[in-house]
Amino acid sequence: MTEALTPAERKPHPRAALDADSVRAAYARWAGVYDAVFGGVSAWGRRAAVAAVNALPGRQVLEVGVGTGLALPHYAAGKRVTGIDLSGEMLARARARATGAATVEALLEMDAEATSFPDNSFDIAVAMFVASVVPHPRRLMEELRRVVRPGGDILFVNHFAAEKGPRWWAERAMAPASRALGWHPDFRLEALLPPEDVASADLRPMPPVGLFTLVRLRN
Amino acid sequence: MMPDTETLPGDSAVPNVAVDPRLLEILVCPVTKTTLTYDRAANELVSKAAGLAFPIRDGIPIMLPEEARHLDGV
Repeated sequence: MTEALTPAERKPHPRAALDADSVRAAYARWAGVYDAVFGGVSAWGRRAAVAAVNALPGRQVLEVGVGTGLALPHYAAGKRVTGIDLSGEMLARARARATGAATVEALLEMDAEATSFPDNSFDIAVAMFVASVVPHPRRLMEELRRVVRPGGDILFVNHFAAEKGPRWWAERAMAPASRALGWHPDFRLEALLPPEDVASADLRPMPPVGLFTLVRLRN
Repeated sequence: MMPDTETLPGDSAVPNVAVDPRLLEILVCPVTKTTLTYDRAANELVSKAAGLAFPIRDGIPIMLPEEARHLDGV
Protein backbone atom coordinates (compact mmCIF):
# COMPACT_ATOMS: atom_id res chain seq x y z
CA MET A 1 0.00 0.00 0.00
CA THR A 2 3.00 2.30 0.23
CA GLU A 3 2.79 3.00 -3.49
CA ALA A 4 -0.52 4.74 -2.82
CA LEU A 5 1.32 7.40 -0.83
CA THR A 6 3.20 10.28 -2.37
CA PRO A 7 6.72 11.02 -1.13
CA ALA A 8 5.35 13.98 0.80
CA GLU A 9 2.86 11.73 2.56
CA ARG A 10 5.58 9.28 3.51
CA LYS A 11 7.48 11.96 5.39
CA PRO A 12 7.04 11.82 9.14
CA HIS A 13 4.60 14.34 10.52
CA PRO A 14 6.26 16.97 12.63
CA ARG A 15 4.37 16.62 15.89
CA ALA A 16 3.26 20.26 15.94
CA ALA A 17 1.69 19.91 12.49
CA LEU A 18 -0.58 17.09 13.57
CA ASP A 19 -3.76 19.08 13.75
CA ALA A 20 -7.28 17.81 13.32
CA ASP A 21 -7.26 18.54 9.60
CA SER A 22 -4.22 16.42 8.94
CA VAL A 23 -5.66 13.58 11.01
CA ARG A 24 -8.89 13.76 9.06
CA ALA A 25 -7.02 13.82 5.76
CA ALA A 26 -4.99 10.79 6.76
CA TYR A 27 -8.05 8.78 7.72
CA ALA A 28 -9.94 9.84 4.62
CA ARG A 29 -7.08 8.37 2.57
CA TRP A 30 -6.90 5.22 4.66
CA ALA A 31 -10.58 4.46 5.18
CA GLY A 32 -10.76 2.00 2.29
CA VAL A 33 -7.87 -0.18 3.40
CA TYR A 34 -7.85 0.44 7.15
CA ASP A 35 -9.43 -2.86 8.14
CA ALA A 36 -7.12 -4.94 5.96
CA VAL A 37 -3.97 -3.14 7.04
CA PHE A 38 -4.66 -2.41 10.70
CA GLY A 39 -7.56 -4.66 11.60
CA GLY A 40 -5.27 -7.58 12.28
CA VAL A 41 -2.53 -5.97 14.29
CA SER A 42 -4.99 -4.10 16.46
CA ALA A 43 -7.53 -6.91 16.90
CA TRP A 44 -6.19 -8.19 20.21
CA GLY A 45 -6.28 -4.78 21.80
CA ARG A 46 -9.72 -4.06 20.43
CA ARG A 47 -11.16 -7.36 21.66
CA ALA A 48 -9.57 -6.90 25.07
CA ALA A 49 -10.99 -3.40 25.41
CA VAL A 50 -14.49 -4.47 24.43
CA ALA A 51 -14.29 -7.44 26.80
CA ALA A 52 -13.30 -5.04 29.58
CA VAL A 53 -16.23 -2.76 28.71
CA ASN A 54 -18.61 -5.72 28.63
CA ALA A 55 -17.43 -6.80 32.08
CA LEU A 56 -18.33 -3.41 33.56
CA PRO A 57 -21.83 -2.80 34.90
CA GLY A 58 -22.62 0.46 33.08
CA ARG A 59 -24.94 0.48 30.08
CA GLN A 60 -24.24 3.75 28.27
CA VAL A 61 -20.95 3.47 26.40
CA LEU A 62 -19.09 6.11 24.42
CA GLU A 63 -16.61 4.73 21.90
CA VAL A 64 -14.22 7.51 20.96
CA GLY A 65 -12.65 7.09 17.54
CA VAL A 66 -15.10 4.40 16.51
CA GLY A 67 -13.48 4.48 13.07
CA THR A 68 -14.76 1.82 10.70
CA GLY A 69 -16.66 0.19 13.56
CA LEU A 70 -14.43 -2.86 13.95
CA ALA A 71 -15.37 -3.15 17.64
CA LEU A 72 -19.11 -2.61 17.24
CA PRO A 73 -20.14 -6.25 16.65
CA HIS A 74 -18.44 -7.33 19.88
CA TYR A 75 -20.30 -5.33 22.51
CA ALA A 76 -22.58 -7.25 24.84
CA ALA A 77 -26.29 -7.10 24.10
CA GLY A 78 -27.02 -4.98 27.18
CA LYS A 79 -24.75 -2.12 26.14
CA ARG A 80 -25.88 0.99 24.31
CA VAL A 81 -22.95 2.31 22.32
CA THR A 82 -22.55 5.81 20.95
CA GLY A 83 -19.63 6.05 18.51
CA ILE A 84 -17.86 9.24 17.54
CA ASP A 85 -15.11 9.87 15.03
CA LEU A 86 -13.51 12.85 13.34
CA SER A 87 -13.56 11.15 9.95
CA GLY A 88 -16.79 11.00 7.99
CA GLU A 89 -15.24 8.47 5.63
CA MET A 90 -14.50 6.10 8.49
CA LEU A 91 -17.96 6.65 10.01
CA ALA A 92 -19.64 5.77 6.73
CA ARG A 93 -18.01 2.36 6.99
CA ALA A 94 -18.95 2.06 10.63
CA ARG A 95 -22.53 2.70 9.72
CA ALA A 96 -22.51 -0.03 7.12
CA ARG A 97 -21.09 -2.40 9.73
CA ALA A 98 -23.54 -1.27 12.42
CA THR A 99 -26.67 -1.68 10.35
CA GLY A 100 -28.97 -3.89 12.36
CA ALA A 101 -26.77 -3.90 15.47
CA ALA A 102 -29.10 -3.26 18.37
CA THR A 103 -26.25 -2.14 20.60
CA VAL A 104 -25.40 0.88 18.44
CA GLU A 105 -27.29 3.90 19.65
CA ALA A 106 -25.75 6.53 17.41
CA LEU A 107 -22.76 7.41 15.24
CA LEU A 108 -21.71 11.03 15.30
CA GLU A 109 -18.97 13.09 13.74
CA MET A 110 -17.25 14.94 16.55
CA ASP A 111 -13.93 16.21 17.79
CA ALA A 112 -13.09 14.02 20.78
CA GLU A 113 -11.52 17.01 22.52
CA ALA A 114 -14.74 19.05 22.25
CA THR A 115 -17.76 16.77 22.06
CA SER A 116 -21.45 17.64 21.98
CA PHE A 117 -22.42 15.61 25.04
CA PRO A 118 -23.68 17.10 28.30
CA ASP A 119 -21.76 16.32 31.49
CA ASN A 120 -22.15 12.81 32.94
CA SER A 121 -23.69 11.35 29.77
CA PHE A 122 -21.99 7.96 29.88
CA ASP A 123 -21.14 5.14 32.27
CA ILE A 124 -18.08 4.12 30.26
CA ALA A 125 -15.86 5.77 27.67
CA VAL A 126 -13.44 3.69 25.65
CA ALA A 127 -10.84 5.08 23.25
CA MET A 128 -8.93 2.58 21.15
CA PHE A 129 -5.89 3.75 19.24
CA VAL A 130 -6.98 7.36 19.65
CA ALA A 131 -4.92 8.87 22.46
CA SER A 132 -1.76 9.32 20.39
CA VAL A 133 -3.66 10.67 17.39
CA VAL A 134 -5.50 13.62 18.91
CA PRO A 135 -3.67 16.96 18.87
CA HIS A 136 -4.04 17.51 22.64
CA PRO A 137 -4.24 14.23 24.59
CA ARG A 138 -4.74 15.97 27.95
CA ARG A 139 -7.76 17.80 26.54
CA LEU A 140 -9.15 14.46 25.40
CA MET A 141 -8.72 13.15 28.92
CA GLU A 142 -10.44 16.19 30.43
CA GLU A 143 -13.33 15.87 28.00
CA LEU A 144 -13.82 12.18 28.83
CA ARG A 145 -13.77 12.99 32.54
CA ARG A 146 -16.52 15.52 31.85
CA VAL A 147 -18.85 13.31 29.81
CA VAL A 148 -18.44 10.16 31.93
CA ARG A 149 -20.39 10.19 35.18
CA PRO A 150 -18.51 10.19 38.49
CA GLY A 151 -17.73 6.59 39.37
CA GLY A 152 -17.79 5.55 35.72
CA ASP A 153 -14.85 4.11 33.83
CA ILE A 154 -12.50 5.47 31.19
CA LEU A 155 -10.53 2.97 29.11
CA PHE A 156 -7.79 3.43 26.56
CA VAL A 157 -6.04 0.99 24.33
CA ASN A 158 -2.97 2.47 22.81
CA HIS A 159 0.60 1.98 22.05
CA PHE A 160 2.74 3.67 24.65
CA ALA A 161 6.45 3.98 24.07
CA ALA A 162 8.47 1.21 25.62
CA GLU A 163 10.75 2.35 28.40
CA LYS A 164 13.10 -0.46 27.43
CA GLY A 165 13.02 -4.11 26.41
CA PRO A 166 12.23 -6.14 23.31
CA ARG A 167 9.43 -4.05 21.89
CA TRP A 168 11.82 -1.88 19.93
CA TRP A 169 11.69 -4.09 16.83
CA ALA A 170 7.90 -4.09 16.65
CA GLU A 171 7.83 -0.34 17.12
CA ARG A 172 10.36 0.14 14.38
CA ALA A 173 8.43 -2.14 12.04
CA MET A 174 5.23 -0.22 12.72
CA ALA A 175 6.73 3.23 12.47
CA PRO A 176 6.17 4.11 8.79
CA ALA A 177 2.50 3.09 8.82
CA SER A 178 2.08 4.65 12.24
CA ARG A 179 3.19 8.01 10.96
CA ALA A 180 0.80 7.80 8.04
CA LEU A 181 -2.08 7.44 10.51
CA GLY A 182 -0.81 10.05 12.90
CA TRP A 183 0.30 7.52 15.47
CA HIS A 184 3.42 8.39 17.39
CA PRO A 185 5.80 5.55 18.20
CA ASP A 186 7.21 7.78 20.92
CA PHE A 187 3.87 8.56 22.58
CA ARG A 188 4.04 8.20 26.37
CA LEU A 189 1.34 7.63 28.93
CA GLU A 190 2.37 10.84 30.66
CA ALA A 191 1.30 12.81 27.57
CA LEU A 192 -2.27 11.61 28.13
CA LEU A 193 -2.61 11.44 31.89
CA PRO A 194 -1.61 13.81 34.64
CA PRO A 195 0.74 12.28 37.25
CA GLU A 196 -2.01 11.38 39.75
CA ASP A 197 -3.85 9.42 37.04
CA VAL A 198 -0.69 7.63 35.95
CA ALA A 199 -0.30 6.48 39.53
CA SER A 200 -3.89 5.24 39.91
CA ALA A 201 -4.42 3.75 36.43
CA ASP A 202 -4.80 0.02 35.95
CA LEU A 203 -2.38 -0.94 33.15
CA ARG A 204 -2.50 -4.24 31.28
CA PRO A 205 -0.10 -5.05 28.41
CA MET A 206 -1.87 -6.73 25.50
CA PRO A 207 -0.63 -9.26 22.99
CA PRO A 208 1.09 -9.26 20.59
CA VAL A 209 4.29 -8.71 22.59
CA GLY A 210 2.77 -6.00 24.74
CA LEU A 211 2.72 -3.60 21.83
CA PHE A 212 -0.55 -2.14 23.10
CA THR A 213 -1.63 -1.42 26.66
CA LEU A 214 -5.14 -1.42 28.09
CA VAL A 215 -5.47 1.48 30.53
CA ARG A 216 -8.44 1.74 32.89
CA LEU A 217 -9.26 4.69 35.11
CA ARG A 218 -12.11 5.23 37.53
CA ASN A 219 -13.71 8.60 36.93
CA MET B 1 -47.65 2.25 14.92
CA MET B 2 -45.55 4.24 12.50
CA PRO B 3 -41.91 3.63 11.53
CA ASP B 4 -39.80 4.67 14.47
CA THR B 5 -37.13 6.40 12.43
CA GLU B 6 -37.37 9.33 10.14
CA THR B 7 -35.93 9.16 6.68
CA LEU B 8 -33.38 11.91 6.38
CA PRO B 9 -32.30 13.58 3.14
CA GLY B 10 -29.52 11.67 1.44
CA ASP B 11 -30.51 8.42 3.07
CA SER B 12 -32.50 6.84 0.33
CA ALA B 13 -29.66 4.74 -1.10
CA VAL B 14 -28.02 3.80 2.19
CA PRO B 15 -29.38 1.72 5.03
CA ASN B 16 -29.71 4.04 7.98
CA VAL B 17 -28.63 3.58 11.57
CA ALA B 18 -31.36 5.36 13.43
CA VAL B 19 -30.26 8.57 15.11
CA ASP B 20 -32.25 8.42 18.29
CA PRO B 21 -34.44 11.53 18.52
CA ARG B 22 -33.73 11.58 22.25
CA LEU B 23 -30.03 11.77 21.47
CA LEU B 24 -30.61 14.72 19.17
CA GLU B 25 -32.44 16.37 22.05
CA ILE B 26 -29.66 15.90 24.56
CA LEU B 27 -26.75 16.90 22.32
CA VAL B 28 -25.21 20.23 23.19
CA CYS B 29 -23.19 22.69 21.15
CA PRO B 30 -19.53 21.62 21.07
CA VAL B 31 -18.46 25.26 21.39
CA THR B 32 -20.78 26.69 24.02
CA LYS B 33 -22.18 23.43 25.56
CA THR B 34 -25.63 24.99 25.35
CA THR B 35 -28.74 23.27 24.01
CA LEU B 36 -29.40 22.76 20.32
CA THR B 37 -32.61 22.85 18.35
CA TYR B 38 -33.36 20.51 15.47
CA ASP B 39 -34.35 22.30 12.29
CA ARG B 40 -36.29 19.57 10.57
CA ALA B 41 -36.63 21.37 7.24
CA ALA B 42 -32.94 22.12 6.91
CA ASN B 43 -31.95 18.91 8.69
CA GLU B 44 -29.57 20.84 10.89
CA LEU B 45 -28.85 21.13 14.58
CA VAL B 46 -28.82 24.81 15.43
CA SER B 47 -26.78 26.44 18.17
CA LYS B 48 -28.20 29.91 18.65
CA ALA B 49 -25.54 30.72 21.22
CA ALA B 50 -22.69 29.97 18.81
CA GLY B 51 -24.54 31.13 15.69
CA LEU B 52 -23.84 27.81 14.03
CA ALA B 53 -25.97 25.20 12.28
CA PHE B 54 -24.52 21.70 12.32
CA PRO B 55 -25.48 19.54 9.34
CA ILE B 56 -26.72 15.97 9.43
CA ARG B 57 -25.29 14.11 6.46
CA ASP B 58 -26.38 10.60 5.61
CA GLY B 59 -27.91 10.33 9.06
CA ILE B 60 -24.70 11.30 10.87
CA PRO B 61 -24.72 14.60 12.79
CA ILE B 62 -21.50 16.47 12.11
CA MET B 63 -20.74 18.33 15.31
CA LEU B 64 -17.65 20.15 14.08
CA PRO B 65 -17.58 23.97 14.12
CA GLU B 66 -15.51 24.04 10.92
CA GLU B 67 -18.23 22.05 9.12
CA ALA B 68 -21.10 24.15 10.47
CA ARG B 69 -23.01 26.83 8.63
CA HIS B 70 -22.69 30.32 10.13
CA LEU B 71 -26.05 31.85 10.89
CA ASP B 72 -24.86 35.47 10.94
CA GLY B 73 -26.16 37.65 8.15
CA VAL B 74 -27.95 34.90 6.24
